[in-house]
This record gives sequence, C-alpha cells and structure tokens, in this order.
Amino acid sequence: MASTPIAGKAKPRSFASKPRHRRRGLEAYLFLLPALVLIGVFTLIPFVQGIVLSFQSWDGVSTDTPFVGLDNYLRVFQDNIFWSSMLNAVIFGAVGLVIGGAVSLGMAMAVNKAKRFSAFFRTVYYVPGVFSVVVVGMMFSWLLDPRIGILNRFLGAIGLDALQHNWLNEPDTAVWAVAAVFVWYHWGFGFLLFLAGLQDIPKEYYEAAELDGASPWARFRYITWPDLAPVTTIVSILTLLGGLKIFGTVLVLTNGGPGYHTEVPTLRIYKEAFQFHRYGSAAAMSVIFGLGLVALSLFQLWISRRSNA
Amino acid sequence: MQQPPKISAPPRALRVDFHSSRGNQLTSKARIFTRRFAFYALLVLVAFVALFPIVSVLLGSVQKAQELYSGSSFFPTTFEWNNYVTAWNDGNFKTFLPNSLFYTVIAVIGILIVASMAGYALARIEFPGSKVVMFLILAIMIIPAPASFIAVYKVLVNMHLANTRQGYILVLIAEGLPLSIMIMRSFFVRQPKELEEAAVLDGSSSFGVFWRIMLPLARPGLAAVAVIEALHVWNEYLLALVIFNDDSLMPVQRGLTRFVSAETPQTNILLAATAISVLPIIVLYLFAQRNITQGIAEGAVK
Repeated sequence: MASTPIAGKAKPRSFASKPRHRRRGLEAYLFLLPALVLIGVFTLIPFVQGIVLSFQSWDGVSTDTPFVGLDNYLRVFQDNIFWSSMLNAVIFGAVGLVIGGAVSLGMAMAVNKAKRFSAFFRTVYYVPGVFSVVVVGMMFSWLLDPRIGILNRFLGAIGLDALQHNWLNEPDTAVWAVAAVFVWYHWGFGFLLFLAGLQDIPKEYYEAAELDGASPWARFRYITWPDLAPVTTIVSILTLLGGLKIFGTVLVLTNGGPGYHTEVPTLRIYKEAFQFHRYGSAAAMSVIFGLGLVALSLFQLWISRRSNA
Repeated sequence: MQQPPKISAPPRALRVDFHSSRGNQLTSKARIFTRRFAFYALLVLVAFVALFPIVSVLLGSVQKAQELYSGSSFFPTTFEWNNYVTAWNDGNFKTFLPNSLFYTVIAVIGILIVASMAGYALARIEFPGSKVVMFLILAIMIIPAPASFIAVYKVLVNMHLANTRQGYILVLIAEGLPLSIMIMRSFFVRQPKELEEAAVLDGSSSFGVFWRIMLPLARPGLAAVAVIEALHVWNEYLLALVIFNDDSLMPVQRGLTRFVSAETPQTNILLAATAISVLPIIVLYLFAQRNITQGIAEGAVK
C-alpha cells in the first residue's frame, strides 16, 4: 500500500486576482469529479452500507432489511468456525512471514550478489506472483492430487511411498499444503522489495567493512540487517495482510476443507452470505475482520512514516 | 522428475576472494570454483521451483488423457492441440476470454483517464480542500476488499447493477483509482512549471494544458498504471464471483471455476483451459516485466 507525503511543499504563488484563484479551485474539482464520484459511490457508500448492514437482516434478494440490533454480532461471536478461520488466516500469514520472509531475503541477497544473470533470476522469481488466485489453485490441485499429482508420483518413483499423502484432503497435511502454496505464490513480492532495498545500500559500507576484516556474518548483522529494517517491516506486514486476505486459492484448493480445517475468513464470509443467505451476519463478520486488517494497515503506515522522517 | 540444468560459472569470471586467497593457490581456486558452482546451483534450483508448476501445466495441457492419467511420461509424446479446442468450445472460453479482454481494456482506459485527471489536479492546482482529498484517498487504500465485498454487492443490487458488465467495470475502476491517482500525481509533480505557464500565457485552457502538454509528459506514469492495473483486472476473482450469475458475462477467472463445477472436465482439458486464461498474462509479463517489478516495488515502499 502506498503512502506519499501529503501534497508537496505549498509554493507561494501569486494569483492575478481573487476571481481567478476561485476559478482555479473550481477547475480542480472538475478534474477530480469523476474520481470522487466513483470512489464515493463504489467505495465510501459500501463502507457505510457494510456497517449499517451488520445491524440488519437481509436475505440477498428482498428490498426489506429490518434492523435486528446486535443479533448478527451475537451470532458471529458464537460462531466457532469463523474464529477458527481467523486463526487459520493468522497461521498462513505467520508461515508466509517467517518462511517466505527468510526465502525472499536470502534470495534477494543472492541475486544482488550474482555477477551474471541477475536480471534473468529477478524476472523468473517473480513469475508466480503474476498468476491469479484461481490459476494458482488449479495448478496445485493438480500437482498435489493424490492419484495423478506429480508430487505423489515423484515420491513413488524414488521409493518413498510412505510419504505419499492425500495432501489437500487429510486434516494433518491440508493446512500445511495450503501454507506452502501461499509461500510459493507470495515470496516473490518480498524478494522484489528486499532486492530494491539492498541496491540502495551504499557499496562503500561493505568495502570498508571488508578492509576492516569483518566476517560475512558481521557484515550482514551490522550493515545489511539494520539498513533493511524499514523494508523488512513493510514486507512483514504486507505478507501478514496477504495471508489474512487469502481467499481464491483456498476456495479452489480445498474450499475450506477437509471439514473446516483450512477455512479462512473471506471464504467464511462468502459462504455465510451466498450459501446460507445470512447477509447481515456476513456483514458483521466483515466489520470484525475489516477492523483487524485496518489496524494492521494503520500500524504499517505509522511505521513507514516514522522511518521516513 | 528432471534434474535442473546446472549453469557453471566460466573460470575467467573468477574473482579473488579476500579470505580464501590467503591459503594455497591451487586448492583455493578449486574452493572458489566449488563455492560459485553451489551458489549458481542454488539460484537455478529456486528458478526451477518458481517455474515448474506453470511449465508442467503447459506440458500437461497438450497431453492425451490416457497419457496424463497413466503418468507414463512427463513430456507429451504427441501434441494433443484438440484439448485447447475442447476447452475453447465446451469450456466456453470462447465467451470468457473476450469478456476478460473487454473488461480489462475498458477498465484500464477508464482508470487512466480518471486517475490522470485527478492526479493532475492534486499535483498542479492549488485549491482549498486539496489536503482533505489527499487524506481521503490515502484512507480509502486502507479499506480492504475482502472486508467490503458483501456491502459492494448490496450497493450494486440497490442500483440494479448486479450481474451486469457496467457494474463490474465501475467497481473495478473505483478499486484501481487510489493507487493509480497516487502514481499519476507523483509523475505530474516532477514536471517543470515553465511549459505549463508558457501555454497558459498563450491562452490555452486548463484542460488544453492538461491534455496537450502535461499528459504526454507523464507517459511513463500512464504506462506503469496501465500495466499494473491490467494485471490486477485480468486476475480479479472475488468480485466476479459475487457479481455474475450469467455465464455469458463471466471473465476467465470466474469461468475457470465455473467450468470445474459445471462440467467436471478431464484434467488435460482443464489444464488447457488454465493455460488459455494465463497466456495473456505471460505475454504481458514478458513484454512489461520491468514496469511490473519496478511498479510493485515502488508502489509498496512509497
């Protein structure tokens, strides 16, 4: 998520006359009008509508939406599946954060160091990130298929039949299989950010450290790591947010199953509304889930502001 | 499974390493070589992991069903291009693919026009309330789509725009605006004032200045926005899932899941369908990968 410092320096500008000044203001709003209307109607109104709907009952069709007070919230607070789906989302985010973060930092350092083919590797490593959630789901439901999937076939071919699993349908493996897919899908994003961050560190630091005889570990610990700190924070939070928002891939891979072992909040909200036709409580879930996401985003903005200052 | 091809670094690329050069000349050379070899082997291995799934989808998409199900060969022995014909006709990708192209082109053009106008006003015109508008746009970027899609659906139902092309496109444009406005604004801010002032003295209208002078200067910004938003719109799934009921309106991502649930196609046909939906993205990435990778890195850190 981007945050640019608000409106550059206000430059003192002389205006010929006051009417002209006012006319420029009017023109500015004419330029902004389409954007403001679209954002107002399709982003701000739904935002308010979502909060209102969380106190109403709606079946998805009728125009009648009676107020039901806190009923939706009471229902959601008793919905164990919703809360376990939140926990799953946190697991996916945390796995992405730790494993994906380590892989993306390590590979960014490697590509940054590579004298040859670094542009090639940079391009290839981001390839998974350009696929849609559905395509990634389709790919891995095939690769992880118990009968015709390449993973099980490979394990069989090298005599490790004992390790074969019905990866996406066994409670013990499903969560980790989805988490692994998430890491594969998203690590390229952190990789790009780390690589850009590494390229901003002045080479002189490393040259000076090398002359002083600093070990590779010392160079990492005292130059790379502290210099990358702001990037690390942003990658961490965005990866965590990505894990929490995971949806389409899970829908295609497991649809939340087996049972509810891989259920995630967005999928839960979707089913609550479009399968069970309880749009009101789906809206209440959205509000609770959204508050968590907004808190994380605000935390990120606060951190990146602080490190920019 | 295949071994990844190994790239060995040519010996002339040897670099004198501070630590290892202290020892015996010959063994240290061998050690440097082994280390470099391991280094590039790791890079290639990771590249292999990144590319393996899409390569296997493409290979599987041209295999005969029996060959794929029997697992007799990873590489196709004969090329069964008919899989694509079946996916195109029976899988209805003859409808989904043009739909996706239409949504992507219209939404990206809409985003470019609306975002460049707004970005221009925010970068070049001083007006009361500009800070409020900037704050509003930043604040909106924080509202997460997964938490608001139920409400978006409700608003579209109220406006009789659910299950329509117009509704989908308008929401796509609105979703893409905040980031695009910020990118365009940062490009307009960098342009010199002089050109603009000269044009005003020559009697150009504000819109004339924007259209004929500023917009051409901001072309790199337009390209960056177009590529990033095209990728985003083409890959969009959640809204398409919620908004559309009619097969005739669905984009490829929605069509792909629709195909699975409605027809339970054979795996090789499904892989061909997946390939159809992803090929335009691969082409876009090959041509614009610098724009994409840089845009993503800059967009996130800003």
